[in-house]
Amino acid sequence: MDRRDFMKQVLLWSAGISTSIPSFRIGPELLAAEKVPPVVSHAKGKDYYALIGRVLEPLGGIGKFVKTGENVVIKPNMAWDRNPDQGANTHPFVVKALVEQCLEAGAKKIMVFDRTCNEQRRCYVNSGIQQAMESIKDKRLKYYHPDQRKFVPVNIERGKAVNRLEIYKDALEADTYINVPIAKHHSLIKLTLGLKNSMGVLGGNRGNMHHNLGQKLADLATVIRPKLTVIDATRILLRNGPQGGDLDDVKILDTVVASADPVACDAFATTLFDIRPDEIDSTVAAYKMGLGEMDLARMQIIQA
Amino acid sequence: MKKKSTKLRYWRRLCQIFCFFLFLFLFIKTDYSGENEIEYAVNILFRIDPFLAASASLATKTLVALMWPSLIFIGLTFFLGRFFCGWICPMGALLDSTHGSIPHVNQGYKTKYNSLKYYLLGFLLIAAFFGLPAAGYLDPFSILVRSMGLSLYPALNVLVTSFFTFTYQQMPEWVNMLTEPVYAFLRTTVLPFRQNYYELTFLSFFILLSIFALERLERRFFCRNVCPVGAFYAIIARFSLLRGKGGTKCGKCRNCMTVCRMGAIDEERHISPLDCNLCMDCVDMCPGNKIAFSWQPKTVATPAFGLSRRTFISSLAIGAALPFFLDTRTMAKRPDPFLIRPPGALPEDEFLGRCVRCGECMKVCIGNGLQPTFLSAGLEGIFSPRLQSRTGYCEYNCTLCGQVCPTGALTELTLAQKHATKIGNVFFDKNRCLPYAKGIPCIVCEEHCPTPDKAIQFREADVLNSKGEKVAVKQPYVVDERCVGCGICEAKCPLPGPSAVRVTSAGESRNPRNALPAQSQSLPY
Repeated sequence: MDRRDFMKQVLLWSAGISTSIPSFRIGPELLAAEKVPPVVSHAKGKDYYALIGRVLEPLGGIGKFVKTGENVVIKPNMAWDRNPDQGANTHPFVVKALVEQCLEAGAKKIMVFDRTCNEQRRCYVNSGIQQAMESIKDKRLKYYHPDQRKFVPVNIERGKAVNRLEIYKDALEADTYINVPIAKHHSLIKLTLGLKNSMGVLGGNRGNMHHNLGQKLADLATVIRPKLTVIDATRILLRNGPQGGDLDDVKILDTVVASADPVACDAFATTLFDIRPDEIDSTVAAYKMGLGEMDLARMQIIQA
Repeated sequence: MKKKSTKLRYWRRLCQIFCFFLFLFLFIKTDYSGENEIEYAVNILFRIDPFLAASASLATKTLVALMWPSLIFIGLTFFLGRFFCGWICPMGALLDSTHGSIPHVNQGYKTKYNSLKYYLLGFLLIAAFFGLPAAGYLDPFSILVRSMGLSLYPALNVLVTSFFTFTYQQMPEWVNMLTEPVYAFLRTTVLPFRQNYYELTFLSFFILLSIFALERLERRFFCRNVCPVGAFYAIIARFSLLRGKGGTKCGKCRNCMTVCRMGAIDEERHISPLDCNLCMDCVDMCPGNKIAFSWQPKTVATPAFGLSRRTFISSLAIGAALPFFLDTRTMAKRPDPFLIRPPGALPEDEFLGRCVRCGECMKVCIGNGLQPTFLSAGLEGIFSPRLQSRTGYCEYNCTLCGQVCPTGALTELTLAQKHATKIGNVFFDKNRCLPYAKGIPCIVCEEHCPTPDKAIQFREADVLNSKGEKVAVKQPYVVDERCVGCGICEAKCPLPGPSAVRVTSAGESRNPRNALPAQSQSLPY
């Protein structure tokens, strides 16, 4: 090995060390582009597969969000060791229907994961989502448990309450990030919807998020910005959230809500609980930061 | 039985290897598999152990029904002698595998330490009967599985994961193309699902290590001199039918004596069935082919144990006397309030009497909540499981620990039974809890509380924060009647250092004397 070769090797092998912490930022130019009233679509029906297709139609169909050859992250809420009827996790059929839509749209790779609150394997299994994913025989679909090595520290440049978070690499690098929360009760911020669901891509001590949760969720939303939010309200949890456990606390609505605007989507879903959007701290904080619309009057709400 | 002898020896080795890998397989399968029930009899090694069966039965003064498989091996030993030690025992197989790498000081016949195991057996059994259960400290399987579960297996994961983290973070992409699939394969096959953390990892590891260190003195030192299971089998092997017989008119090579891993062959080439583990090496190594194993008629003299009556009686006497000192300790009056036993644990005395310190429950605990106790349950409670909720918690819908317990020290609970079993109760430290102490909103504990009607509730209150501003916060409190003591609140409390909510054993179902003050008689537990 000569000197030149040696230097080359050293540079190559140390490339990983020199990589600095990445910064992600939604620039004002991106925000300015969203002056048109956001479309929020909602649909009701017993057939959850058909429901997903219907709810996406007013938004332009899945093809508007997922292009051929793209890497897609679908992030359901499967944080709890509860079964689908208990309404603590996104319904497996909703996740499955979305995965199939993305597959048809020609996605190169679809990643499904969540950082759970209860034991990971129990959550994946008992949420029914693992089984639903197993039933899709397509190599482009990857569902997995987060790998500890892949949480990367990210500076939250626009953060007001938090300036640094550990975020899962796949969520940062995906071409399209689709947020699929379930709408349910949460004692601290009344409801957990789309913005709260993004906490599932965080590493580290997530408990700290709860001190000023609304603003911190809005801060997180400046770096994790889903192209599409689909809120599962087929079952909503009215009390004892976010994990429930009592079927009496579950209300079956057979509804899904979808929008490209994460704040508008949350705001509309809030009304399903007979709560005003401005009662939800995270919605208000995100609206104030210009991350989306919360005024129902300034949305195009379409029943599909 | 005058077959070509070399074959038997290789069969023995094959059998050892098979049993060892079966043991490893069951060890790895001692985990959640996607089903609520574990499909393999992962604890079988402990359930075929007659010494543990005897100890647990004597301690609880009942026949421990779960241990019935040990009867099979007691029966077989009446015919085959200590074949278990030579053919089945995973500890023996491990010790045999180190033979080439550890030189032994004594190569020959048994030494004076040989009788130690009988004294120990006597001591342990009588002490168990009188209330000092210490069988798990010397049982080879307890030592082995415990140190594997608490130290070797987690350490293996650290080692492998650090290597692949290094390659992942520092190596170029093409290296990762090779290493990542290997790592993924290892993770789905032999590695644990997650990194677990344990207390007493070094202690449990050094106990195992010392058994290997003792190999320096003589081959299978532990099996010859210490092992209480071996002693138990030796007593039965005294009457066994299959025995080796040396030549009477051979030369002076004494090959068999040196080659015998158990020191069972004396100068006169008598093979003692008390020590012989039927490894068949002597049959193979005898240059004159004079040694053979055959079914012996009853006319053969039963060998003596070579015990000193005085020492044996002393060891029994100590075993009988020591337990009475246990009740003079403060913990007899006031047990450690942070000693939380797993769900399904029997009342403390009976629990410790049955617990064999195998560590299976800690290995299987998917919340990494169960930890080995050090001294808080007394000298007789070391390595018994306790819930350490700051490092992990008891998963609400999981019943695995009761399923793997080989002796029933933890009762196997149905999910409904488990939900109605209280292992402790939580208390809030209002000096630390953020909404009380600093006016900072939190209630992560309430969010995680798993009972359908949450045991942790909150009240809204206006308090002054550290800036002197009046803020509205939600302050948590516990409803004793609903709290099961799972400890998820303690585990998830976001405060650094000690949690502001802690589980104590107060109100545990298994001990009515530990009842909470406000509890009425009509509660579900």
